[in-house]
Amino acid sequence: MISDVPSTPLSSAESSLQHLHPSARKVWTIKILLLGAILIFAALIYDAASLFADESALPTGVATTASALLAAALGLIIPRLWYRFWRYSLRGEELFLRRGIINRVSTVVPLRRIQHLDVSQDIIEREFDLGKLIVHTAGTRSSDVVLPGLAFEEAERLRDELKNYILEDTI
Amino acid sequence: MVSLPGFAILLIPVLRSPSSESYLNLGIAVLYGAVTLPLLYLQYHRFRYWITPNELVIHSGVFTRRRRNIPVERIQNIEMERKLLPRLLGTASVKVFTAGSAAAEGVLEYVSVAEANRIREVIRSFQRQKAQDAQWTSDGAQPSAQVLERSGRPVPDHERDALAEVTDDDHHAGPPLISMTLDRVLLSGMFRFSLLYIAIIFSFLQFIEPDPELLAEMLTRGQLGALTQTVADSPWLAGFMAAAAAALLSWVSGILVNLNKYYGFRLWLETDKLHKRHGLLTLAEATIPLKKVQALICRSNPVMSRFGWWIMELQTMGLNVREHGFQIAAPFSQEEEIGDLSTRILPVSWPSRLSKVSRLTIRRMTIRYGLVLAALTLAVSAFWRPALYGFALFPLVPLWAWLNYHHHGYSLTDDALVIRKGVIRRMIWYIPIRKMHVFYSAQSIFQRRLRLKTVYVDTAGASSINFPMIVDLPSEVADTLTGRLYDRFRDLIQTTAPGSFGAANTARDTGQRELSFALPVPADQRRSSQATPSRPTGPPN
Repeated sequence: MISDVPSTPLSSAESSLQHLHPSARKVWTIKILLLGAILIFAALIYDAASLFADESALPTGVATTASALLAAALGLIIPRLWYRFWRYSLRGEELFLRRGIINRVSTVVPLRRIQHLDVSQDIIEREFDLGKLIVHTAGTRSSDVVLPGLAFEEAERLRDELKNYILEDTI
Repeated sequence: MVSLPGFAILLIPVLRSPSSESYLNLGIAVLYGAVTLPLLYLQYHRFRYWITPNELVIHSGVFTRRRRNIPVERIQNIEMERKLLPRLLGTASVKVFTAGSAAAEGVLEYVSVAEANRIREVIRSFQRQKAQDAQWTSDGAQPSAQVLERSGRPVPDHERDALAEVTDDDHHAGPPLISMTLDRVLLSGMFRFSLLYIAIIFSFLQFIEPDPELLAEMLTRGQLGALTQTVADSPWLAGFMAAAAAALLSWVSGILVNLNKYYGFRLWLETDKLHKRHGLLTLAEATIPLKKVQALICRSNPVMSRFGWWIMELQTMGLNVREHGFQIAAPFSQEEEIGDLSTRILPVSWPSRLSKVSRLTIRRMTIRYGLVLAALTLAVSAFWRPALYGFALFPLVPLWAWLNYHHHGYSLTDDALVIRKGVIRRMIWYIPIRKMHVFYSAQSIFQRRLRLKTVYVDTAGASSINFPMIVDLPSEVADTLTGRLYDRFRDLIQTTAPGSFGAANTARDTGQRELSFALPVPADQRRSSQATPSRPTGPPN
């Protein structure tokens, strides 16, 4: 296990890294569209309110159409980009994560710094049988490091593996 | 999440005056109840917890199902809380704290008091069991005792008495590491400002409650008439005088506040704990166990550092929320004193010089600050035309970027990462490698074009606003730095024997025990990081 730890822990060989589960894109799309629905709803109210007004800043329907298009575009593009740049790998003594579209962040969580572990699944993720692994450490900024978009079994498997490591380490 | 009191509040108007209008409220209440009551039941139904010899498991959540496993040995503290309502119901809530966050990690609400006690006992007995096992398997007997005590084992009476004796008895206090004389306290106050006087003026006004009309009359008619006339004649002079008066007042109150706070400041060391005592009107005392110190932070500002004055803080992390945060170890000291003090507290070796980040940071920061300034100026000028003069500040932007570059530096020594940052608020962090938790390297879209990276490490109890970061290292330098840092981290963490770094023992303070590590690293995998020549002088400047 030790031998595949590269000399630069925060930049790993591409081949050793794993992608998230492809369905993660769908989950993210649904979540963004749900958020977008709020925006569309607000725009709809604005349009409805200005329907009978004498003069309004925008012609009727423009706000709604624009926000619908925006939500659709974001919902299509962002999850793909997230998915494209998300990588993780469980190496000998650490969990490595890399993600981000604009700001690309690499994280190394040494396994013995893990305080405890969570696996969580929300109602949308449950439909696709996905889950998140949440790794809690004592660091301020990294009190919960989230690894989303895993197959639920994979999340549980990772948790059990990490858990084993911690226990083995401390006994 | 779901609250019954909310339900009650909705019902109050109905109960008080049953009129047609309040039936609306009743309707809302019924609706609310129809949603929340089943949800409450589901919540109750979904909530499960059990304790195995290894961990505390909590399953909860209706929509988002949460399964939380907290390893027994990571539990730092178990608190039992009984608020009014639970007390009436004969229940208690058990809160389980780990080092991860200030808030409780596991909360078991509304368990019976007997059950709460039982949970606490069971967890503790498992912890004791673990500690004993550890004692058998490793020779680190002392740390396991530590873990037990820190996890909230009731201290036996004779031990508690002994502790009390130590803390009460002043004569045992060692020679002070720092004791501030009165003139030092007054001098340090001269560098501080306080707005306390505003609060005092306002509370005074509130106390006497002056009649505005009467006050206006007094100002215009009495002896002050001449003064108000002058003010009315030359508003610029008046404004200037007012600003000068405000500055003087805040300066004086700064000195007084500082005097009250740091009068008679004394810091001394007793075996492995730092004690400090200071204050004029309220005497503040604090004890800082050295093993809880996560990092050293030196602060200054351009004026103070011009005369070589620095403040030193200790970043601490405790199982108790009150022990979190930043403890001032030296309120006002010269560089050499800080250097001397730090080496007496922790095995600190300051690097003799710091490396610089890439010069490209000047370009990046110029663009960034320039855009911020432009946006700000345009936004304000939309409401207030003269704000357009803000564009006159543009020549200062590159200077500011250069100053930021000039005051930013870092160094990786054998034991620590040292980072300096800030122009106005100057900071130097000394972060022991043993205290590091998570490693980061980040590259924004703009940094990618310039081949730069930002490197930072997370520590327990670090401030999230003023966070130590090395911004804009050349990519390759960043990669080698993180490589060296992480290698060193693995070396130190794996080979640390209990007590070898007595003052700063990472593993213990986050509830981990020091143990012979399961996976020894082959010698050829280790790359000893370059030792930087070090001397126990002041922080590099």
